[in-house]
Amino acid sequence: MTAQLAGLAPCTHCGFCLQSCPTFLVTGDEADGPRGRIELMREFTAGRIPADANGLRYHLDRCLGCRACETACPSGVEYGSALEEVRATLNADSLPITSRIVNYVMQDGGMQRVTFAGARVARAVARHLAGPSSLGFAWGMLDATHATTNKHAAHTTASVQEPRVRVALFTGCIMSGLFSHVHEATARVLRANGVQLMAVPGQRCCGALHAHSGQHADAVTLARANVAAFAQIPEDVYVVANSAGCGALLKEYPRLLSGDPVEEDAMALAERTCDVSEILVELGPTVGGPIPLRMAYDPPCHLQHAQRVTDPPLRILESIPELELVPHADAHLCCGSAGSYSLVEPELSRSILDRKVSTLAAANVDVITTGNPGCIMQIGAGLRAVGDDTPVVHPVELLDRSYAAAGYYGSQRSSTP
Amino acid sequence: MPLSPQVRAALVRIVSDRWVRAASAQLETFARDALPTARSIPGIVVLPGTRDEVIRIIRLLAHHEVPFVARGAGTGLSGGALANNDAVLIALTRLNRILEVDPQNRLAVVEPGVVNARLSEAVAEFGLLYAPDPSSQTACTLGGNVAENAGGPHCLKYGVTSNHVLELEVVLPDGSVVTLGSRSGEPWGPDLVGLFVGSEGMFGIATRITVRLLPTPPSIRTLLADFDDLTTAGRAVSAIIASGIVPAALEMMDQVCIEVVEASIYAAGYPIDAAAVLLVELDGATDDQVAAEGAAIEVLLMRHGARSVRAASDAAERARLWQGRKKAFGALGRMSPDLVVQDAVVPRSALPEVLDSIRAIASHHGLRVGNVFHAGDGNLHPNIGFDRENPDEFERVEQASAAIMQVCIAAGGTITGEHGVGVDKRRYMTDVFDADTLDGMARLRQAFDVAGIANPGKVIPTHACREWTQGAGRHV
Amino acid sequence: MSDARVQQRLRAVVGASVPIEHGPGDALVVSPPDDHRTAAILETASAERWPVGVRGAGTWSSQQPNALITIDPSEMADVTYLDPSDLVVTAQAGMQWSSLRATLAEHGAWLPIDPPGERRSVGSVVATGTAGPLRCGYGAVRDHVLGATLATGDGKLMRAGSKVVKNVAGFDLVKLATGSFGAFGLITDVTFRLRAVPRADATLVARGNRDRLLQAAFAILERGANPAALELYADDPDDDWILGVRLIATDEGVQAARDTVAGAADLPFERATDGATLWRDHAAHCLEHPATLRVGVPPRALPAALDLIRHDLGPGWTSATVFPGAIRWSGASDVDRIKVFRHHAAHQEFPVTVERAPVDNLAVLGHFGAYREGVGRLIGSLRTAFDPHGIFVVPERAA
Repeated sequence: MTAQLAGLAPCTHCGFCLQSCPTFLVTGDEADGPRGRIELMREFTAGRIPADANGLRYHLDRCLGCRACETACPSGVEYGSALEEVRATLNADSLPITSRIVNYVMQDGGMQRVTFAGARVARAVARHLAGPSSLGFAWGMLDATHATTNKHAAHTTASVQEPRVRVALFTGCIMSGLFSHVHEATARVLRANGVQLMAVPGQRCCGALHAHSGQHADAVTLARANVAAFAQIPEDVYVVANSAGCGALLKEYPRLLSGDPVEEDAMALAERTCDVSEILVELGPTVGGPIPLRMAYDPPCHLQHAQRVTDPPLRILESIPELELVPHADAHLCCGSAGSYSLVEPELSRSILDRKVSTLAAANVDVITTGNPGCIMQIGAGLRAVGDDTPVVHPVELLDRSYAAAGYYGSQRSSTP
Repeated sequence: MPLSPQVRAALVRIVSDRWVRAASAQLETFARDALPTARSIPGIVVLPGTRDEVIRIIRLLAHHEVPFVARGAGTGLSGGALANNDAVLIALTRLNRILEVDPQNRLAVVEPGVVNARLSEAVAEFGLLYAPDPSSQTACTLGGNVAENAGGPHCLKYGVTSNHVLELEVVLPDGSVVTLGSRSGEPWGPDLVGLFVGSEGMFGIATRITVRLLPTPPSIRTLLADFDDLTTAGRAVSAIIASGIVPAALEMMDQVCIEVVEASIYAAGYPIDAAAVLLVELDGATDDQVAAEGAAIEVLLMRHGARSVRAASDAAERARLWQGRKKAFGALGRMSPDLVVQDAVVPRSALPEVLDSIRAIASHHGLRVGNVFHAGDGNLHPNIGFDRENPDEFERVEQASAAIMQVCIAAGGTITGEHGVGVDKRRYMTDVFDADTLDGMARLRQAFDVAGIANPGKVIPTHACREWTQGAGRHV
Repeated sequence: MSDARVQQRLRAVVGASVPIEHGPGDALVVSPPDDHRTAAILETASAERWPVGVRGAGTWSSQQPNALITIDPSEMADVTYLDPSDLVVTAQAGMQWSSLRATLAEHGAWLPIDPPGERRSVGSVVATGTAGPLRCGYGAVRDHVLGATLATGDGKLMRAGSKVVKNVAGFDLVKLATGSFGAFGLITDVTFRLRAVPRADATLVARGNRDRLLQAAFAILERGANPAALELYADDPDDDWILGVRLIATDEGVQAARDTVAGAADLPFERATDGATLWRDHAAHCLEHPATLRVGVPPRALPAALDLIRHDLGPGWTSATVFPGAIRWSGASDVDRIKVFRHHAAHQEFPVTVERAPVDNLAVLGHFGAYREGVGRLIGSLRTAFDPHGIFVVPERAA
């Protein structure tokens, strides 16, 4: 048994994971829950179920990979890594076509640029096309990538005097393609906290989508490229991710590249990688101006479950004066985005999302925040599908807006700091 | 006899294709509940979404005399939800609606698939709670709780499931629907609710469950006491019981459990060098009252050999202390690849000597045992670690389990306090009940289920005692 | 079969030393000294198809007139197991409730059941499931019973339950014994879960208008006070009612509960100087009338149910356990009025149990009257299962 599958051994079949699993909550089917999937993985790897067994791939493919079950598990079963390994074996030559296309686009720099450029043009009309149908939902997702706050803040590029720390931003694919406004907000917020930003050329897509869907070789290729890119910058520079999915995988590169010649570099990268909320909490963060809004925070799975980062985003949001954090039910559950899942398993994904949208609607807030692009798009599209245009933004966008309100950027609509 | 295509097709007609599971890999996932030592692949699985579908399914199966097994979350520890390949497994997870909350009369009406903890969450806004709190409460269903007569730490003061079920709508194994009990808890005739609760799915399927809710205690105090050895801790338990103060809960964990919990994400701050810890919870109407009782218990604990006693300083710490206790079973997964959790009850005054015996049995068989249990009820849960790929070790586990049961019976106890008999404990039934009493159980079963199709093969030992099976001459 | 022949057969079963006497009516009264001989009597009775009645202390219900033999468990009147540190006792069915209470008190133990009536026997209290006001704080009779020995109608002894406080081994045969009026068997002993003798026990009483007192009782519950008893009762329902609040706990607990009660209800409560006598008198009251009924009522439906009782049954001793909701009424044994009331109560989903009535009336009314749909068939199957030849003359349902 490989190390990854050995991670399943502690499972005592207690079932404490079931209620944390978004797909089990929708279908109530053991095979759609973590314990059933663990059973399938164990039986498959032990050779007691063949790869083509009826139902095996169906139920493993329906897993979101949100890893909420890991957080719920008292015996520390390492579900996520085992799933990736089994998927890699099963999907070696038969991945759903949607996944293939998405993964290909993310992998190829040229395709990526063309796709995102087209998407940005189309985004202008997305608001009008968003709706409850499958196509309308896709437009809703695109529309949710609009910058909704602080669009006009000055793009300060001035270097920081006497920086407290130096940071390199992991740029990623979707984040730079459709969420450049979040990158810009991140840069401004970090600078306002005395951070010197460094540009790191040669970065690529993190490879998360490939790893989760079992395209192991592609994930490794991308990981190697990123490890090499970041190996060139000084050791004391933190690598900051503002996408929970990317950050989670960067932290797991050592496992992905286990036995690889660059394993040591991967470990070094993982060790200095942190979520933007983690570094901001470490730094203070600077308190800005008031934002008198009701806000719900929906933690991304890859932040709360995969990275086990739960407090820092709340701490930075709490630091914003007059911003009221409104709790909503089942915040720990996945929104159904899960990388390309919403495209591959639309029906189940929508059922999961409906639950999320209704709990968020019940909270009755002015703004929703979550630190992952997929979640922003999924929740945004879900809201638009029911005619709700509550903005969904990244936490740093709110912090950015708060700083602008305080006048830290010296911009047009500021007051004195 | 495998299921006929006719029955399969009829099941699909009732619940639609979408809610029937027949593929080999799917059935594999329903082969076990939380009992690690038994597995059985069901003939087919159906997931009805309404009570009417359940009724139609049972009527169909009654007509064809096809056995069926009801399953909730599959967190049972006695194999009660296992179905053979000639049986239909009816998963009730989709029947998960809370139908009514009546805060004034302090009751709630739920479907059987509602998760235990979800009910308490839903009624918290009225200052109420559902008292029985099995450690699996975040996952287990109320239907399963009714079938097994589930307990939990707070049953010491508030009683087990049976004490909290007021009324049941039940589909009997012949497909007829009856309502047992009443909303005030007053039985309507003989106590059929009392008979049904704990019948392990062999008397029919409850489709609507009316339960009593209790007010959340205004004041709660949780104490953690640690001890240098297990026997001393056992004596302290007896002293508390005899004192007349009834704690809301009185739980014990030994060193093995303390270690695994402290290594898990549910680390509670238990002292890892202690041989045992006791968790004592007191509740009452006012802080003064609870503080006074807490002080009395603290004195008692110190006098009976506690190294130290501390009180949780706030709700967060209390929650942490409890999380550690409730997740201990899962956390013991760290000890070894597989884990069998035993369940037996002994007179509370016998706890020290029985704990000694268990330790001796474990060491005799070369096994590691972790004890985490409801000390105030004398309800023991020795957890024995093993690796199922190691047949010799597995055999030793079986022997040790049997030896532990005999010790508990000899001390005046019984073979299960809250997990049920299922398939796991049938072999011990003749050790605690004589032939006439077992025959009485068979008669009871037959009165509810003449055809013997509801969860067959559980609870009543079929081969162990020729005398009474022949005498009764009926199939169970 | 001639009386002499029956007596002869009985004598052969029980041996020379066991008394067999002629009781009121024509029944032979036999007093077996142990459960084995009780079972042997029943086995013979079953084979001979003799109708069998059971009598307790004779203070609560009268004997069955159509029984050929009556079993009197009064020779089985001992505590056979008592572990005061474990707080568990086994008492034989013929033991007087008051003797059991006294024995337990000597060992610092207490059984929180205060059955109605006087000089009740253990078997009677359990077979009839008659709890008193303490049901509010401590639960119904069934909630205290851990085990029981039940002699079935074909003379088998079922040793149900156990002597430990938690037990799910096998089906819960104990529930066949509790509250079924002997329909499934004769109880020979019962194992109870006990409590330590309470440190403090106080009773508060207030008098006045029924509905005002009831509102006060609800307010007390809502404040989170957990009274041992919360009983609203009246000798004459058209006159003043009394709300009795019994508080049992540690000294601090009782003090705290008194404050809570005072804060919750704007009523002039008086502290009863002799609470024990007050509750003993309360228990004895229902014997002043020939019939006693028990009605299950959710708390908020109590006013409507009390009105219905007043209207349908007429005046009588009435006592309501406010939580979890039950009314005990004692009054004239008027079969027609009781039938009408039971009909109305069933419409409102209130179960009615005729706890006691003159035998002729009881034979017509049945303890439980009619069951809900499908339940009667189930009870019938259970009776056949445990009494295959139908020897127990228990009028469990209406004639």
